Amino acid sequence: MALLKVKFDQKKRVKLAQGLWLMNWLSVLAGIVLFSLGLFLKIELRKRSEVMNNSESHFVPNSLIGVGVLSCVLNSLAGKICYDALDPAKYAKWKPWLKPYLAVCILFNVILFLVALCCFLLRGSLESTLASGLRNGMKYYRDTDTPGRCFMKKTIDMLQIEFRCCGNNGFRDWFEIQWISNRYLDFSAKEVKDRIKSNVDGRYLVDGVPFSCCNPNSPRPCIQYQLTNNSAHYSYDHQTEELNLWMQGCRASLLSYYSGLMNFMGVVTLLVWLFEVSITAGLRYLHTALESVSNPEDPECESEGWLLEKSVPETWKAFVESFKKLGKSNQVEVEGADAGQAPEAG
Amino acid sequence: MAPVLPVVLPLQPRIRLAQGLWLLSWLLALAGGLTLLCSGHLLAQLWHLGTFLAPSCPFPALPQTALAAGAMALGTGLGGAGASQASLDAARYPPWRGVLSPLLVAGTAAGGGLLALALGLTLVLPASLHQGLEEGLEAALAHYKDTEVPGHCQAKRLMDELQLRFHCCGRHGYKDWFGVQWVSNRYLDPSDQDVVDRIQSNVEGLYLIDGVPFSCCNPHSPRPCLQNQLSDPYAHPLFDPRQPNLNLWAQGCHEVLLGHLQGLAGTLGSTLAVTFLLQALVLVGLRYLQTALEGLEGVIDGEGETQGYLFPGGLRDILKTAWLQGGTAHKPAPEEAPPEEEPPKEDLPEA
Repeated sequence: MALLKVKFDQKKRVKLAQGLWLMNWLSVLAGIVLFSLGLFLKIELRKRSEVMNNSESHFVPNSLIGVGVLSCVLNSLAGKICYDALDPAKYAKWKPWLKPYLAVCILFNVILFLVALCCFLLRGSLESTLASGLRNGMKYYRDTDTPGRCFMKKTIDMLQIEFRCCGNNGFRDWFEIQWISNRYLDFSAKEVKDRIKSNVDGRYLVDGVPFSCCNPNSPRPCIQYQLTNNSAHYSYDHQTEELNLWMQGCRASLLSYYSGLMNFMGVVTLLVWLFEVSITAGLRYLHTALESVSNPEDPECESEGWLLEKSVPETWKAFVESFKKLGKSNQVEVEGADAGQAPEAG
Repeated sequence: MAPVLPVVLPLQPRIRLAQGLWLLSWLLALAGGLTLLCSGHLLAQLWHLGTFLAPSCPFPALPQTALAAGAMALGTGLGGAGASQASLDAARYPPWRGVLSPLLVAGTAAGGGLLALALGLTLVLPASLHQGLEEGLEAALAHYKDTEVPGHCQAKRLMDELQLRFHCCGRHGYKDWFGVQWVSNRYLDPSDQDVVDRIQSNVEGLYLIDGVPFSCCNPHSPRPCLQNQLSDPYAHPLFDPRQPNLNLWAQGCHEVLLGHLQGLAGTLGSTLAVTFLLQALVLVGLRYLQTALEGLEGVIDGEGETQGYLFPGGLRDILKTAWLQGGTAHKPAPEEAPPEEEPPKEDLPEA
């Protein structure tokens, strides 16, 4: 008993072929969309690779690009096949290729589904890359004279302004590192000497943050230095003040940005996958309908189309049998050789 | 009456004209769409920068006019494409016959008028931007501190975001901030002697300092931003007087905004010029097509030759016809016979 049998007359077959042709070209457009989404994500990751230690994984955008290109190629080929399907002469040259082509399509659909899953699941590796990258970025903030790191200050400042965040987990991260270069410290001042002596590593630590942490929504001019000293500023309480600086850490900000992007791309990929599955099913119906045309001379006759020739368990059994036969055929040869030898010996 | 600029159009040139017109019409529709997008973009930018442009500035009239002109050009283009495609098919042309005349009149009068107006405004209005931005930015700087005054509480945030986004400081430079009080009185300690001194040092009782808000800071500077005591060269250790520009943004917001908006207006002006040219070509072509097909009287696939023209008679003839139809006693010139299409009853008032 065939799976999901549908009767096709000539008109229905023609309609199916035309509909499939249109869907295949729409699918080529969808492939282009996937390709551009992958490219966009790759560019976005590259733009901020400095705060990700240059070690971020490009697996998701690369796979989206690959899948987009594959989809374009496979679907334009399928479109050509559907166009030729209505002409028996042209269709004859495609006939032997259709079964392997359908197998490739099914494999492609599986890959597409896996890529969609990856978009949703590969967020965790990004988080750890961001954490270590931002920590290093903040460490090198003051090295504006060191070649190779002189742009880190600009990068971190622009990042904090654009993403409205401060520090790794919060603004207090800036209290733990020396972000003011030694070049701009007056070592003859007592205050500087005290601060440097107050910690083991001899670093100049302040309870202050760079200007890029400032929040424009604050009603008062930005307080950047002596943040924990309430008496240094008029009418200021550092425990309750929330509008002065950006409260969110840059790791959380960047993570939510990239997660949002990847979720969106995952949703689009899933929709494209559903579309591709329907195209593959339609192609299978067209294939079987054209195969089962009983009288090749009469194009008007009815035929049947199905997804699988037998039901699912029977098909699986046949598949396994064919595998076993491959193994058994070797065995039979060996036994035949033994049997041939035995009568000779006996 | 002699037709104005007549052109003989046999069948093949008629078809070529219709096909070329179809292409030009789609180009016109594209140009109209581009104008719509450009003017929409400029309007959006003006809406965002609304606080920095004085309300009396007439500049927003430009994108509004361009929006209307672009919409008309788009409509003319689509109508022209439909008409030229229908003119190739005898069965589809009759309904378009009635549409073409109003389309041509509307396209010429309204569309052409709007386009010419928009082009004129492009040349005149950008000059008014200078004054509008001057006044707007002056008001924005003055209200920076009024974060608790209803109506101006967003001024600080908008000014900070402007300086951060456009990489500018003050109106013409960072020293503009030295002349306004940008720290709200609420955060000034009245018991602090320095505050009292500063307030008493000027007539208006303003707290003026030689410092700037954080949004003036330039991230490209190699040292952490210096915001305070900018007039005192000895206040900061190792301050390099040869490189003062790196610490803060060097440009004033006036120049930056002026350049930005004038650039957008220039782009809009060029799209308007292209649209004007295309619309003129399409309207002239449509008129020739219409008059050529009128001459065939319904058999538009026929092989016959017809004449296409712009106007049935010269300007003098049209005016004369209008004068005569007005019913004034007027002796017609002997060399000009009364036109055939004039209905006979018009002769009676003369006689």
